[in-house]
Amino acid sequence: MGNTSVKITKSDLNKVFIRNLFGLQLAWNYEKMQGLGYCYVILPVLKKLYGHDPEKMKRALKTHLGFFNTTPAMSHLIIGADIAIEEEIGIESEQVVTGIKTGLMGPFAGVGDTLFIAIYRAVVFSIAAYLALDGQAVGLLIPLLAVAAVIFIRYKFTHFGYNQGKKLATGFANRISLITEGASILGLAVVGGLIPSVIRYNLNLTFTFGEVSLSIQEMLNRIMPGMVPLSIVALSYWLLGKKKMNSTRLIMVLIGLGMVLGNLQTMVDWFVALFA
Amino acid sequence: MELSIITIVLLTLYVGIGVIDQISIQAGPYTPLFAAAVTGLLLNDLPTGLVIGATLQLMTLGVATYGGATVPDFLSGAIMGTAFAILSGNGAEYGIGLAVPIGLLLTQLDVLGRMTNTFFQHRADRFADQGNVRGVEISNVLGAIPWMLSRMIPVFVGLYYGDAVVQTINSVIPVWFMTGLRAAGSILPAMGMAILMRYLPLKKYYPYYIIGFVMMAYGSSIFSILSVALVGLALAVIHVNQKNQVQTDGLMMAHQDEEVEIDG
Repeated sequence: MGNTSVKITKSDLNKVFIRNLFGLQLAWNYEKMQGLGYCYVILPVLKKLYGHDPEKMKRALKTHLGFFNTTPAMSHLIIGADIAIEEEIGIESEQVVTGIKTGLMGPFAGVGDTLFIAIYRAVVFSIAAYLALDGQAVGLLIPLLAVAAVIFIRYKFTHFGYNQGKKLATGFANRISLITEGASILGLAVVGGLIPSVIRYNLNLTFTFGEVSLSIQEMLNRIMPGMVPLSIVALSYWLLGKKKMNSTRLIMVLIGLGMVLGNLQTMVDWFVALFA
Repeated sequence: MELSIITIVLLTLYVGIGVIDQISIQAGPYTPLFAAAVTGLLLNDLPTGLVIGATLQLMTLGVATYGGATVPDFLSGAIMGTAFAILSGNGAEYGIGLAVPIGLLLTQLDVLGRMTNTFFQHRADRFADQGNVRGVEISNVLGAIPWMLSRMIPVFVGLYYGDAVVQTINSVIPVWFMTGLRAAGSILPAMGMAILMRYLPLKKYYPYYIIGFVMMAYGSSIFSILSVALVGLALAVIHVNQKNQVQTDGLMMAHQDEEVEIDG
């Protein structure tokens, strides 16, 4: 039956939290991904609950070494809930625990990858890079400050997950979807603003007809500033929608495009000379 | 100019810390931005490091290791690209152009590192059968070694033999290629933007994207990207509040309906 005599304390949870921050992905592998890491993270609790009973310990180790993979920041919630169940039910919770782990890791990764990776990077690291592009090293402080906030959230997640136990999945999912929507709006506004400011390519192309010279870039600016960067992004976006396209291939395409754009004036001059 | 052995060792150590940052808290050292800046600092040319790092960072904004997918190693690429750019005096664009293929080439070592870690998983599985808790813990910690070596070895070797490589490159590569590489360096951030746009709900929320674009395309003399972020934040809060309001109103109405029925 349950381990009513053994209680998980705040300091146990904090031990798990620290291991979760630094140890979850140390042994990431293709077979069970964060499986070994997960076991490592929750081990302080397992030791406390089953340390006196080698047979139970073996079973617990096996359960927690199973396949696991989710956004590291979200894993705190799942591990917190796992601890609560483990404390409540004991070793007989094997199936519930495995169910919760596998059931939540997918949906949580969906939300977590958007929130903690895509949008986080779009906002935090793009602002830092934007400042660095102007030679301002102080921009590097922004990610360091932001990560302190993330670590705080992850700390809260461990305790929140533990407190919520099994209730976790439903209530939290509703609220986090609204947060994701808001964060998406912020991310999209920043991405839109980044395009004209960080793709610093100018079409250095001038047509000279006798006395008159015509700068293509100036002409384009009159139609809409930032048109060239926007077109290149639109092309990349469209290409990424193609089946066989991935980021590595897109890099090749863009390098090829750069080769053409960089030597455009030379090519045009050569072409004009051909007919002159 | 040549790299001192101390600089090489420091950068090798840095990349080891960087990869641990990547798989733990992701504070920043794992990004090409930090890596190039630190390399620039060590080689007495911070401005070049910042430009290379920033450009690579923007290019790779959307390239993240979702679900453990392998992505090009732009961390190591940034260090080597920056070092070679400063050593050769060829400028930041050259460094960007160099960092990208190096990063692509090193992708394979990331795969190798993750494959090697399967060994530790198996080892831990065996320890679990024996009930050996300490063994399981140590197996996990040892997993850091393949991660670190897969970055530290190429960076050390690359920087150690770098001079010879850079000189060969300088004497062999034609001017048009370098010009093209520079242009490529300046348009590569487009990829980062495009991947993010694929990941974010662009079709649903494109108006916010337009607002951001217009602010910076037409008003770059007034606005900075931070102001775009603040406007984005304001719009996001408005959206969330309105949606919350609709939900509460909906609940209230449903509640009132119920009351009416009960009264009736």
